[in-house]
Amino acid sequence: MRNMIRLVWFDLKTELKPPVWIITEWIIFLVQVSVYGTMISQLVTGIENYSNFFAVGLVIMITFDMASHTGRHFVEHAHEGRLPYLLSLPVSRSKLFLTIALQGGTELALMLAVPLTVTVMIMGNLTLVSVAACVLTLFGLGFGVAGLMLALSFVAFKSSDLYTAIVTGLSTIIIRFSTVLYPFIFLPPQYASAAAFSPLTYGADLVRFILGFDPAILVNPYYAVSILTALAVSTLGLGLILIQRLVEGVKSA
Amino acid sequence: MYAVETKNLTKRYGKTFALKNLDFTIDENEIMVLLGPNGSGKTTLLLILATVLKPTSGQATVMGLDVAAQSTRVRQILGISFQEARGFWRHKPADILRFHASVCGVPKTERNTLIDNVLRDLELWDARNKLFMHLSGGQAKRLEVAKVFVHRPKFVIFDEPSSQVDLRGKRKIWAQILKLREEGSTILIATNEVREAEYLADRVTVLDKGKSVVCDTVRHLKDSITGGDVVELEIDTPQPHTLKRTLSQMKGTVKITNSGANNFKAYVSMAESWVPRMTNVCYRNKARILSIRVTEPSLDDVFLHFTGRALRGASNA
Repeated sequence: MRNMIRLVWFDLKTELKPPVWIITEWIIFLVQVSVYGTMISQLVTGIENYSNFFAVGLVIMITFDMASHTGRHFVEHAHEGRLPYLLSLPVSRSKLFLTIALQGGTELALMLAVPLTVTVMIMGNLTLVSVAACVLTLFGLGFGVAGLMLALSFVAFKSSDLYTAIVTGLSTIIIRFSTVLYPFIFLPPQYASAAAFSPLTYGADLVRFILGFDPAILVNPYYAVSILTALAVSTLGLGLILIQRLVEGVKSA
Repeated sequence: MYAVETKNLTKRYGKTFALKNLDFTIDENEIMVLLGPNGSGKTTLLLILATVLKPTSGQATVMGLDVAAQSTRVRQILGISFQEARGFWRHKPADILRFHASVCGVPKTERNTLIDNVLRDLELWDARNKLFMHLSGGQAKRLEVAKVFVHRPKFVIFDEPSSQVDLRGKRKIWAQILKLREEGSTILIATNEVREAEYLADRVTVLDKGKSVVCDTVRHLKDSITGGDVVELEIDTPQPHTLKRTLSQMKGTVKITNSGANNFKAYVSMAESWVPRMTNVCYRNKARILSIRVTEPSLDDVFLHFTGRALRGASNA
């Protein structure tokens, strides 16, 4: 356990000195919600308080970015030569991969601290239960997305350019074809069927449900919980198996 | 029991064999040098022993522990210095060593003294607070080997420990490696630097195309080359042709050439026993020896002899 904390902290402390990237992300979030959110909510009809809906969408996008960053980070480590070093340390493989996940989780928690607090506050739902439920949902989504990126990293061992292209394309599709910015029931049928395959749809609508949005405009929360859990477990499991086989078997490692 | 043993060890990348049925051993407290050109399988072998790569088939053990089945326990007794120091771009050398020492279980009470000593020994003291990305190639390489010198494990692996390092730095690294062995570590070094191998090796294994071609002490390897020693002679004699014929019939002579009226170049086996016999022959023939220069074969010649290819010119397999 000590070694896991050492590994996480060793990387994290340099990223926090100074924590420019986190603070920048917070400022961007605050500007987006206060300026763009307020303006767009004047234009959108049919949803009460669209700026709140929009704020949750932004929180989900941050979660997605951070989770995919964790997956990409792993691939970068492999290419930069850090991965062989980590693999040679006297830490078991499962602990090492748990450390990677823990580091991603810590970064996600830091990144979400202000956006989530602000969102919950402006919606007037700042309770321990609502915050805990939101955090749980966001971490479930985060693990699922990180697992997806890790599972895709086998492509990166063949070609990092191809990996970048696939991940960029996939990210665009996953974000655009989802309910991050628009409610499910208002989506055109073709768009809605595509959005049903995006994990962000379930993450975003579950958080909105927890924070008290009208359930009529959201996907079924029970579906959302089951799908997010299944996604996190399956992609993380698949990702870990693939990675373990790949890093110990390919030349680039 | 051997400190390290591989049996039929094979590693395949698609259709290419990096290692092919390799049988290989290292005795305890020995410095074994793997010599071979790029692509000969040296690094693959090191990475398998360090549990970073898994073998395709065959078995490898370190201090009796199977590298595939008991990988975590193997990692607890070994340390590896990689060929290229990469990775921690935004960290400082002192922090990297402190982190490495703590993860590898170096006691807290000894850590700082050890790190300071190694930083000074390897002339990294002034660079200890620079960011890794600002280090020169030589400094980065010295930092890579410094990790192992701070850790001081039972089994140590070095992949080209002094590449990119200047001669002075090489000497310091070599001295530290010898010190590690004195303290009881078993050491495996992969290199394609002949001088490094000659300076450090107790035994040398010549690897070529993933196979062990030969394994022995440097002395035995050199002696095993017929005509490997070259003796250049300058002799004052009225009958050079007769003398040349007599010398060429001597035991141990492989070939004699003339490089001038009184200059001879003899390719011999075991120059140390050939030269005294030659002086007797010269005395009997009333020839006066003006100069003798003996050059022994290098490991380059050993490699050429056993593989039919020059070590430096050999291309990636």
